[in-house]
Amino acid sequence: MATVAGEPGRMEEKGLFARTATGLVRGWSVWDGFVYAAFSINLVTLGLYAFSFAPFIPEKGLLWAVVLSGAYLVFQAITYSSLIAAMPRAGGDYIWISRVLGGGIGFVLAAAGWWFILWHWVPIYANILNIEVFGPISAIIGWERGISFWAEPWGIFVASVLVAAGASVLVALGLRTYARFQKICFYGGLVGLAVMFVLLLVHSKSDFISAYNDRAPDLYGSPTYETTLAAGQYDVGNVGSFAFTGIFLLIPFMLFFNLWSNWGATLYGEVRGASDFRNNIKAMGGALLATTAVAAIFLLLFAKTFGWDFYNGANNAYWGAAEGGPGFWPYPGMMAAFFFDNAVLQFLVIGLLSLWFFGWMGSVFLSSTRVVFATAFDRVLPEWAAKVGRNGVPTGALALMLVPAIPIAAFYAWDGDGFRTWTLNATLVIAITFLGSAVSAAIFPWRRPEIYNASPIAKYRVAGIPLITVAATLFSAILLFSLWQWWRDDRYFVNDPDSFIYLGCMYLLAIGIYFGSRLWRKRQGIDMGMVQRQIPAE
Amino acid sequence: MRLYFATDIHGSDVCWRKFLNSGKHYEADVIILGGDMTGKALVPVVDDGGGRWHATLLENRHELAGLEEVEPFEQMVRRRGYYPFRTTPDEMQELQADDERTTTLFHDLMLKRVEEWIALADERLEGQDLRCFVCPGNDDQFEVDEVVANAKNVELAEGRVVDIDGFQLASTGWANITPWNTFREEEEPQLAERIERVASQVTADPQHTIFSLHCPPFGSGLDEAPELDENMRLKHGGRAPVPVGSKAVREAIERYQPTLALHGHIHECRGNARLGKTLCINPGSSYEQGELLGAVVDLDGGKKVKRFVLTSG
Repeated sequence: MATVAGEPGRMEEKGLFARTATGLVRGWSVWDGFVYAAFSINLVTLGLYAFSFAPFIPEKGLLWAVVLSGAYLVFQAITYSSLIAAMPRAGGDYIWISRVLGGGIGFVLAAAGWWFILWHWVPIYANILNIEVFGPISAIIGWERGISFWAEPWGIFVASVLVAAGASVLVALGLRTYARFQKICFYGGLVGLAVMFVLLLVHSKSDFISAYNDRAPDLYGSPTYETTLAAGQYDVGNVGSFAFTGIFLLIPFMLFFNLWSNWGATLYGEVRGASDFRNNIKAMGGALLATTAVAAIFLLLFAKTFGWDFYNGANNAYWGAAEGGPGFWPYPGMMAAFFFDNAVLQFLVIGLLSLWFFGWMGSVFLSSTRVVFATAFDRVLPEWAAKVGRNGVPTGALALMLVPAIPIAAFYAWDGDGFRTWTLNATLVIAITFLGSAVSAAIFPWRRPEIYNASPIAKYRVAGIPLITVAATLFSAILLFSLWQWWRDDRYFVNDPDSFIYLGCMYLLAIGIYFGSRLWRKRQGIDMGMVQRQIPAE
Repeated sequence: MRLYFATDIHGSDVCWRKFLNSGKHYEADVIILGGDMTGKALVPVVDDGGGRWHATLLENRHELAGLEEVEPFEQMVRRRGYYPFRTTPDEMQELQADDERTTTLFHDLMLKRVEEWIALADERLEGQDLRCFVCPGNDDQFEVDEVVANAKNVELAEGRVVDIDGFQLASTGWANITPWNTFREEEEPQLAERIERVASQVTADPQHTIFSLHCPPFGSGLDEAPELDENMRLKHGGRAPVPVGSKAVREAIERYQPTLALHGHIHECRGNARLGKTLCINPGSSYEQGELLGAVVDLDGGKKVKRFVLTSG
């Protein structure tokens, strides 16, 4: 049976007659999907933070690592768009992995990657809030104690509590309110980026050196541009350096920024066909490529205006706590705001850019609550975990996120036994979950041929191989490469034994919950094997 | 007593077959289909002459050589819950120009499939110690009731209270108003009266009462569907669900407090919730993938349902 895409050309022939029936809706706007995906691959919060790690890989190649990894991760967008088109409404990684690889694997990977590890993202979000919002605002309003406070354990802990509380409020307000809030933040954040773009474009490097030397010592007590440059000096090359080894080694750091386009994927509604599949690719892949392009433009502007050697040197000095370092995380938004000799205007720039944080903040709990719900409905977690209050607040799921996140934030803040470095596993654990989905996607045409063949993606092939398999295999490759690097290379700070023991404990906890739950349900007379067991159709 | 509940299979052949086998598979005493049996789309398979055919499914055009390719294609269409029909280019032009004729064809094919299904059920369920109930939903035309009522091994549940192993099952497939103007929908006050007419016939105590109400209760978490704009487009990329369930259903559950309430209607809202002492279940639907989502519930007449599993079979 041959299949050909598209409508016939010789006549306006309908391929399908639909009646008016519940749930038949017109397609969603690609732009909306784009907006939410762009928020997930958040240039301001995740991107700028990730770029500051570049000095850890002195082999150079940041710009190309951003561009090439961003372009490559289109395979991730294709993989997830394929899964959504083939199994819409399923509910994400947990269900996809469960249906293809089995319920136990699905639970363990989803619990570790979408639940436990998100506790650890709370202080990471808080750290970004401090260095991009609270710290700069404290400096602008002249609250000197505030600048140091947000870098101290209590500051990190307070910010973590604020992030956890803010995310809980956004989740409690409901997805509709959150979606509206995110959109407002998106447009406001775009204005902030546009202002930053213009400031960096119209000013020269000498303007910046002058502005920096005027403002940074005044606001932060920083040494001069030249001192910081000298303090962080290493062979940074130039912005366009195409160093093969450096580019590859920077990719695991870049995943912290650009691995999340699938968070904006729409999981609702009735998939009408191939156009929905393509729309999801456009939304996710488009957001990925657009964000990558904007990131590249800003890196070029940093090189032009800050100086590539200063931008990297300041980051190097900051992370290395070098004598003569900037004394603050060299936030490009703040450094752009230095061009204004006016606190109100500086505040406005930081305020607009901070919308990228506030619109993104709810994501730390949002997906986790969905996973908690799905696993509770499968009876792995107790019924109360999926309890929703009369006002729609998912109290059980929120408690499962919020309560553990607070002590973890305290450990992070006071950094007991290097706890803070263990949280660098934050990307690694989710990457393992995505790898589970990628493997599920790669073998999906053979594991569930009846679903695959009847789906809108069945016709897409590359050299006779299903596109979903090709895309998922290529996506798996970047994940496996990064996992291997995280495992073997000290420079990512995750491969010490304590870190792996901690990581292992998370998976053991998930395995323990799964098997404990099966035993507990068995004692209640419930056969959990029933959940995924296929009913014969004949 | 063990019951199995599934819903919203929307014309999917494979889901119906799985439903008929679910009693044996889950060792259930009763199987209940909660409504919306009929499909949503016709797929023309056009004869181009010379043994060549073409059709479009999910916006992918399929060129088919001979009946040996047409028949598997038609099975694939049926699996998704759509209705394939063979036609000619001339007839296609006529159908596209004549809405009434298309509607008649739709009705005929929907009824034909229900008749085929009921015949299959009568054959498959014969001799089994199993009761099978079907309660058409808001998307089902009224003629479906008659077909089901005439079945030998399938019982029509719409608007009735039926006794099952010491429990009573009260059912209706009607829903509150939807944006699609479907067959069985009405304003909340009328729906409340309809539910009351059925529920008032229940003589069992709440611990032995089951409601099968196609529409889920408002604000229960089982009724969230993506918000639509005035052009029926998904708002916010489909990420903004709003409760669309029935307040009348909620009031009836809160008032009568049956031990179990079974729902469907909102396919993406698979889950369970408690309203007072009532366990409410919406198993959701993935009929397009041929996955029969359902719920296995063990009832013992206790104060609360304690044993249930949502299944994906």
